[in-house]
Amino acid sequence: MVVRKYEDELKYIERISDYSWRIKKGFQENMNVEGIFYVNKNLEALMFEELRNSCRSDGIGGFLPGMKQIANVAALPGIVGKSVGLPDIHSGYGFAIGNMAAFDMNNPLSIVSPGGVGFDINCGVRLLRTNLFEKDVRPVQEQLAQSLFDHIPVGVGSKGIIPMNARDLEEALEMGMDWSLREGYVWAEDKEHCEEYGRMLNADPSKVSVRAKKRGLPQLGTLGAGNHYAEIQVVDEIYDKWAASKMGIEETGQVCVMIHSGSRGFGHQVATDALVEMEKAMKRDKIETNDRQLACARINSEEGQNYLKAMAAAGNFAWVNRSSMTFLTRQAFAKQFNTTPDDLDMHVIYDVSHNIAKIENHVVDGKEMKLLVHRKGSTRAFPPHHPSIPVDYQLTGQPVLVGGTMGTCSYILTGTEKGLTETFGSTCHGAGRALSRAKSRRNIDYLDILEQMKTKNIAIRVASPKLVMEEAPESYKNVTDVVDTCHSAGISKKCVKLRPIAVIKG
Amino acid sequence: MADDSIEEVVKDAGEVPEIKYEYLDHTADVQLHSWGSNLTEAFEQNGMAMFGYMTELDTVDIKEKHEIIANAEDLDGLLYHFLDELLFLFSAEPYLICKKLRIEEFDTEAFKIRCSCFGEQFDLAKHPQGTEVKAITYSAMQIVQKPEKCEIFVIIDI
Repeated sequence: MVVRKYEDELKYIERISDYSWRIKKGFQENMNVEGIFYVNKNLEALMFEELRNSCRSDGIGGFLPGMKQIANVAALPGIVGKSVGLPDIHSGYGFAIGNMAAFDMNNPLSIVSPGGVGFDINCGVRLLRTNLFEKDVRPVQEQLAQSLFDHIPVGVGSKGIIPMNARDLEEALEMGMDWSLREGYVWAEDKEHCEEYGRMLNADPSKVSVRAKKRGLPQLGTLGAGNHYAEIQVVDEIYDKWAASKMGIEETGQVCVMIHSGSRGFGHQVATDALVEMEKAMKRDKIETNDRQLACARINSEEGQNYLKAMAAAGNFAWVNRSSMTFLTRQAFAKQFNTTPDDLDMHVIYDVSHNIAKIENHVVDGKEMKLLVHRKGSTRAFPPHHPSIPVDYQLTGQPVLVGGTMGTCSYILTGTEKGLTETFGSTCHGAGRALSRAKSRRNIDYLDILEQMKTKNIAIRVASPKLVMEEAPESYKNVTDVVDTCHSAGISKKCVKLRPIAVIKG
Repeated sequence: MADDSIEEVVKDAGEVPEIKYEYLDHTADVQLHSWGSNLTEAFEQNGMAMFGYMTELDTVDIKEKHEIIANAEDLDGLLYHFLDELLFLFSAEPYLICKKLRIEEFDTEAFKIRCSCFGEQFDLAKHPQGTEVKAITYSAMQIVQKPEKCEIFVIIDI
């Protein structure tokens, strides 16, 4: 790693616009392309502070700042365009979280990197609508929160309640949401509103280790811990009435349910296994990277192909997981209101994946190219008329679901043409951490947070008290800053703002 | 070995060692910092640190003993696999949460560890839920060996 003084580092960072900065070649070694990151005034301060802190480090402990990680990704073989940092970017494993990068599928040297997907493969957000309004839910707010908490297994060490044996798991890994549909857990139209229709066709369970399956089986249909949650939200503001109405959102006060979860221990193990395999492949193929964490393999190598097939299986696991929780959510609501999910109009508005690699066609320098697009903590945001988005959203652009943090708002955005050309149709995924977890635990009081939630009239059910501090809104960047940056930079467009009235967390 | 009576397991486990680990700042994840008078102790303490993030170890009793074996090509790799084996012990059968680790065999040439793990099955009714560990990472991993003290830094993904 290049070590320079902070002032010298700054020479490589150049402002492009009010909302974007360029990272010039040379900031890190071997950069094939430049880096770019999108931030507004408030977020910018956090980014530069992180860089400054890393310059001060004496080499013991410490970690790479997001900017350095963007630059290291820019040095990977086969990358095209730019290494892109979205406004919620923060330091992560190999790739920063909120980093996207595309690799030329026709270049034999191009790589695939599990670090560019993340450990929680196909972590994503799903939004369900209802025909209820805030006034219908307020009187039973606490009961409903408790009921959701009772229905959905949450937190470390919890086990799924959807009956599952090893053979079911094999089928689920191969079929994704088609399995959920066959087993009667979802509605046919739910699939229509998922990326890839809830099934990656190249999934191959035989490329997945027994270990991953053993970790995955007990955890299917569980929410997990950390930043995962299920929230009951109400529509707070509508920015684009027409697009919102296409999503079945007609007015403020309407109640929705947001589920944020991924592929659980299954995906974590698939990623772990792949990293170990790729270390070997890197030595064999003499692939040099700036950082050991950027373990990767050539896309066309056996390791690369095996990872993509196992990753797809983990993707399917995540969709089945979110679908199982959709089923449980519908049950909880139906019981509470003594009716059916159908009568409550509990349709899936959309389901996004924000930790995934996908093969997509993009135009680069006026030429159409087949790319492997890595999005880690980044959401696909395709514009109107793009062939990969469902018929219902052909005119509005793809809905992008951006989850906030405990007690703060969430957003629905839509994809734009500018996003497609500038960021390969990618945008932010959430708030992004600002404080470390350890710092949050030290500086934030558990009771203060609960009091804060009470003041905001938010019902909360959390399995782990420590998590309340770690996940406090103060620990995160302001999601509104993140979303406003995406909107102002034009890489996606604000549509709806949601605020929570009940939070269920691990 | 899991068939031994609880008394035998408790006797075998012996004293629970003092805590020689802490949790350091990292934006998204957590960095485990452990130390000890030698590599073995620092490794054991690092494993304990990971379990300590999942629940309150005070609530855990020693009832079962399981053994793990980790192999690697270098020392960093060995640390990684050691922790990964421990994580697996928790994540699937026997769902073991460990209160004490004792490395029985530490081969720094063949890079192999054999470790006895003492604890009990994780029980939601008994053990408060801490944070879930997704994976071990090589990110900023450091094993600092000095004659008088050994220190380890590992970032776990949560």
